Amino acid sequence: MLTTIAQAVINGLLIGGIYALVSIGVTLIFGVVKIVNFAQGEFVMIGMYISYFLAASFGIDPLVSLCISMPALFVIGVLLQHFLLRRVLALGDMPQIFLTFALSLLLVNLALLLFTADYRTVQTPYSETAVHLGALYIPVAKLIAFAVAMVLSGLLWVFLHTTDLGRAMRAAAQNRDVAMLMGINPDRVFCVAVGLALALAGAAGSLLMPFYPAYPLVGQVFVLMAFVAVVLGTLGNVTGALIASLMMGVAESLGIQFVGADSGLIVVFAMLLLTLAFRPNGLFGGWSR
Amino acid sequence: MEPVKKGLISRSGLWVGVLAAVALVLPLLVSSTFAIDIFIRILLFAFIGVAWNLMGGYAKQLSLGHAAYFGLGAYTSTILLIRYGVSPWIGMLAGGVVAMLASLPIGALCFRLRGPYFAIATIATAQVLMLLFLKFRDFAWGAEGTTMPNLGDAPLMMQFDGKAPYYYVVLALLAIGLAITYRIERSWMGYYLVAVGEDEDAAEAIGVDAIRIKRNIYLISAFLTALAGTFYVQYIYFIDPNTAFSFNVSVEAALVSIVGGIGTLWGPVVGTVLLEATSALLQSWLGGGHGGIQLTVYSLILIAVILCRPAGLIGLLTDAYDRVVHAGAARVKEVPLDG
Amino acid sequence: MATNRSSAFAKRRDRRDFLRKSAGAVALATSGIASKAFAAEPVNIGGLYPVTGSFAQIGQGCVNAAKLAVQMVNDAGGIKSLGGAKLNLIVSDVQSDTTVTRTETDRLISGYKLSAIHGCFASALTLIASEVAERAKMPLITGSSSDKLNIDRHYTFTPFSRASQFALAQLQMSKLVSDSPKVAVIFENTAFGTSTSNGLREQAPGQGVEIVMFEPYSAGLTDASPLINKVKASGANMLFPVSYLNDLILIIRAIKQNGLEIAINGGSGGFVIPDFYKNVGSAAEGLLGVAHWNHDINADAQKVNEVYKQQYGEFLFEYAGGLVAQTFMIADALERAASTDPQKVRDALSTLDVSSGYAAMGPGGKVKFGPDGKNIYAHPVGVQWQNADLATVFPKDEARAPLMKA
Repeated sequence: MLTTIAQAVINGLLIGGIYALVSIGVTLIFGVVKIVNFAQGEFVMIGMYISYFLAASFGIDPLVSLCISMPALFVIGVLLQHFLLRRVLALGDMPQIFLTFALSLLLVNLALLLFTADYRTVQTPYSETAVHLGALYIPVAKLIAFAVAMVLSGLLWVFLHTTDLGRAMRAAAQNRDVAMLMGINPDRVFCVAVGLALALAGAAGSLLMPFYPAYPLVGQVFVLMAFVAVVLGTLGNVTGALIASLMMGVAESLGIQFVGADSGLIVVFAMLLLTLAFRPNGLFGGWSR
Repeated sequence: MEPVKKGLISRSGLWVGVLAAVALVLPLLVSSTFAIDIFIRILLFAFIGVAWNLMGGYAKQLSLGHAAYFGLGAYTSTILLIRYGVSPWIGMLAGGVVAMLASLPIGALCFRLRGPYFAIATIATAQVLMLLFLKFRDFAWGAEGTTMPNLGDAPLMMQFDGKAPYYYVVLALLAIGLAITYRIERSWMGYYLVAVGEDEDAAEAIGVDAIRIKRNIYLISAFLTALAGTFYVQYIYFIDPNTAFSFNVSVEAALVSIVGGIGTLWGPVVGTVLLEATSALLQSWLGGGHGGIQLTVYSLILIAVILCRPAGLIGLLTDAYDRVVHAGAARVKEVPLDG
Repeated sequence: MATNRSSAFAKRRDRRDFLRKSAGAVALATSGIASKAFAAEPVNIGGLYPVTGSFAQIGQGCVNAAKLAVQMVNDAGGIKSLGGAKLNLIVSDVQSDTTVTRTETDRLISGYKLSAIHGCFASALTLIASEVAERAKMPLITGSSSDKLNIDRHYTFTPFSRASQFALAQLQMSKLVSDSPKVAVIFENTAFGTSTSNGLREQAPGQGVEIVMFEPYSAGLTDASPLINKVKASGANMLFPVSYLNDLILIIRAIKQNGLEIAINGGSGGFVIPDFYKNVGSAAEGLLGVAHWNHDINADAQKVNEVYKQQYGEFLFEYAGGLVAQTFMIADALERAASTDPQKVRDALSTLDVSSGYAAMGPGGKVKFGPDGKNIYAHPVGVQWQNADLATVFPKDEARAPLMKA
């Protein structure tokens, strides 16, 4: 029994790392630019396809292709902010939500047109191996993904708290007008924020490739969990998103184990609704980090 | 808010009458059942859009979980029909009541949330209902769903031979939805709704009971959406949790209002006509095998509307009207904030 | 001024009506053109498959096979009793969506002069198509396995094995691997998963098989590890996953990652298509499944497989192969009915009795429909992945290759 629980917790944490990468991106964009990016999952998908094609055509291992997928998505993020998001910033919730939602629809269907619905997988030497800790199994590919996810989150945190640009981002998140008064160029800050968020999504994609198939709808599977994590962790709070993602991964895993295999999502949603009932602003209440 | 539009509507008794006449004879003029099917879809989604618009357009509560009520209405009437032999006409009303009752706790939970939190919470409630119904295998057929019993031509049980009767039923539903919206627009409730939508705190400050207003409009919106749910499953002869609580229904409800004209009487109708007609044309031109092109076009239209005309396309029409009627009068253009 | 106003009103109303009417007009025109062009000679049959959406790869394969089958019928001279009339296949994409299936089935039946239709692969979709076809009195032939397709139906024909039969075969096969099988059943909570798993649960005791775990799960897994963890804890020595492809890939991989030594019978669906092997690789070798049709069943099946392989680069999978047989069954019915009238075709199908040729190339080699639309000879075969291909290994008298020990 104890082994089962421990294994369930480990499984939950590992997948929670991936949820974290996706949700941190969403919460970063929301915190700084104040837009909920419903298309974040599709950028994960793009990251996956980039890694897939690099692996299939050049034999590049997905983990190595992080060096390509992350910068590529950073650039896409900057372009996204500069050409699309900027135009709806002042328009209010509905146009913003629906713009990113329409974008999500567009990206999924373009992928369908370009790549068809076929599942693309990558086999790496470590795709099916696992580390043994007594009776516990820790799949190597997922462990690597988790480790890299934590490293990237840590780097982001350092960036936000120690560099000038990072601090400028937090300032713009907290109070855009005052930040502008202090000479911070909001557009530049927003571009970097969106770029970083998408780079994280791309990283999630590359990290998933060794153990998850790529297909046009793959983003939607992860984005739902990411959104719950974002809300739980308080919109805009990067650390909150990380912690909430890990919690949710574990809750889902335990839910599947002890409530029922089709109840993982129900447990997660129940968590969400309960939290919102008692703490409408998420578990971490206050403001962005 | 939009005095020009209100004026347009009040002067248009004749115009609405003509529209109604055309709508009434349309099935008699068109013989292709595929075409009638398109019209039925247009009318149905316009109706769902109108129901959504009360909440999302006027009171600016952006719900992306209206499928919850759609599904509750659909399942209530289906369970009453198949398990107890109750006519779907009664089942439809029962479904509406169930939806209203459900909207109370859901509203209580969600209305404390603002903006995107509210949207996400509504998505979550619809998803939870879908998941629950996927589990209720004994009472509500679970994932497999069920087809409607084939009763042949049974108007009293909401089953008809041929498409035209379905067309008239949904036309009547849309008319009811529009009539209700029209009345609310003109009533004290309408003004309070708009006030709450524009700035809830300010409205509260001047004494508007925002919570009660939101709760009441949610009741109406949920009720109407549930009626649509019953009609839909009666029309397609089938129900399952994925269809009844489909996220696509929630999205389309909001989409048609946004594309057409959020917070306006005819907005959802205009939006539905455009979106559904485009979608149907694409489907019949491209038929099978061009995976994704239909939705690609759909999403491009959406993006175009949101970027160029966020108030919805109905604005295009009223602007055209303005230009024709009030030629030369200065119009203040909205300047988007920079940033 | 008044004229301006009313013309502005009129313009606005007209614009809206124009939109509505043009939608209707285009629809009319396209259907009109279609019927005019094909009314004379060819016989129209409809094919409804999910070419886009979650079942897209299988749907595309089905359409390929459907076109090939029609070509084969036409090359052999078409329908001789109708003066050599050629079959004309009208394909519709049902987008893996129930609503679209409903409208498309309707559109095909009412927009074209059809004699029969076939579709839709996924049981959830076929149930709807069959409901519409029943009300429209159009014969539908399908390989979908849901037992519900044979209840209250006079126009639906299912020449191949039913879900309950798959279940029985799986249970019997489990005894090949172990003397006291302890089975964990995990299934998608969809129509396909539910009907197959119900069959398993009902028949297990009668076969002496103990089911130690019986869990529906939500399709679209982010991670199969929690599920596999549960399977481990249940002490099962055999796993029956009932899934479509994407979840199967995750499940098989998670089994390897978590070091779970367990025999697997993957059932049908996503397990018996080339894509499964493409994505899972050598981990698939030796895995067992069941199928209602396989390409090594007899010489005819092998012939079709060769042609398909040449054209599309992969072997002819279960549903697609069955589809070719179904087309020939329709051709046979048309031959005997000597008419394109759907009612006559339906009656001819109900008296179908073949034991040779492409129409009969399923397991058992014979097709004859009972009053409920079921083929009285239908049964599934057990298959095994061997050398990147599927070989029939069960029942003994129909095995085309020896059972590979894992």
